[in-house]
Amino acid sequence: MTGSETPVVLIVEDEPDVAETYNLWLADEYDVRMAENGDEGLAKLDEDVDVVLLDRMMPGLSGDKVLERIRERELDCRVAMVTAVEPDFDILEMGFDAYLCKPVRSEQLHETVSNLLERSSYDGLLQEYYALVEKRATLEATKSSAELADNEEYQQLEERIDDLQDKLDETLGGIDSDEDFIATLRGIGDVEEQ
Amino acid sequence: MSRSSDSEPVYDLTDVLDFDALSSVRSGSSILISGPAMTGKEDLAMSILADGSRRGDGAIVVTTSDRAESVVSDYRDRVPDLDESRLGVVDCRGESGRSSEFTPGGAFVYHLSSPGEITGMGIGITKCLENLHNNGADSGRFALTSLSTILTYTDKKTVFKLCHVLSSRFDSAGYLGVFTIDSAAHDDQTLQVIKQAFDGMIEIRETEDAREARVLGLAGKPTQWQEF
Repeated sequence: MTGSETPVVLIVEDEPDVAETYNLWLADEYDVRMAENGDEGLAKLDEDVDVVLLDRMMPGLSGDKVLERIRERELDCRVAMVTAVEPDFDILEMGFDAYLCKPVRSEQLHETVSNLLERSSYDGLLQEYYALVEKRATLEATKSSAELADNEEYQQLEERIDDLQDKLDETLGGIDSDEDFIATLRGIGDVEEQ
Repeated sequence: MSRSSDSEPVYDLTDVLDFDALSSVRSGSSILISGPAMTGKEDLAMSILADGSRRGDGAIVVTTSDRAESVVSDYRDRVPDLDESRLGVVDCRGESGRSSEFTPGGAFVYHLSSPGEITGMGIGITKCLENLHNNGADSGRFALTSLSTILTYTDKKTVFKLCHVLSSRFDSAGYLGVFTIDSAAHDDQTLQVIKQAFDGMIEIRETEDAREARVLGLAGKPTQWQEF
């Protein structure tokens, strides 16, 4: 997400009325795509999609299977599962980033989508932060502290790092929820056993 | 925002390591313990946790090398009248997938199959925090031993991000975090990058006849080297 483009939300929902309701709620703020089943959802999914609202119980490809395929494709999108029953903690273990219980209210839907977008922006900030910290470490390793004091690039780097640190602290309330915590770690990526 | 304010508790670590710089460590701080192999980094980390447990703090240990049973039994030796329900262990050396259990004494243990399972580690830590909270511990101390193992499974970028996110999470939760790293096992640039994910660092070195430590980043200038 670059911030200037309208975020893209993909709704994968087999009940047309429900899908249309979500669309009505979200269309003012987001670029909405709709799919009636898992296969169509996967076909409409590309790098531009930021958030997927995925109905768990659908004829054909189930929500769980769709999620699996999404993760296999290593796309950066966040996936919220829409379910009829209140799930337990294991939803996070399954790899969903959030869940919504039917019937979904407008306010809830907006909150969930904006929280998921905030997580994406946290990931982006953290990536940028890392790149700057690494650059600073390289400069520090190759120049003396006297040289660094006079180095304009280094001074600017310091400022940008401080600035990013503040932004990270403000995003997601400094990671004060379990869901944000786990989803952020998932964004960093697991390594499979060799 | 859940940043610490002046009214929040501070941790006094001087019983473990006698430095003024460690007399009032802000709640939510994360500290890197860095030194070569076999210089007592893990022992120091566990001593910091045990010191908290004696005061009723919760304790969470993420271990990449020791089995959960040995962590728990070592912990019992350190804290004889331990309330085990206030101890949680994430064991990254499980034999089979993710699972959780309670020890007979009530400590919560979460197993992972590999130290490269970053998400699983997060789930284990979250379950530990939840369990400690249910057992009345709302503040506590966290130790991860060791980052060096995780570095062999991943890379410095992943470990830096992991440390940053863990530090943020424990800052929000009001926990003190200590993380160990083998300074001889990685290049300078890796260490330089990773230490920037922390509020401060305890550096350890071994001279011919003594083990010495110094504290950096927690209060003013680096301290002098001091035997411990």
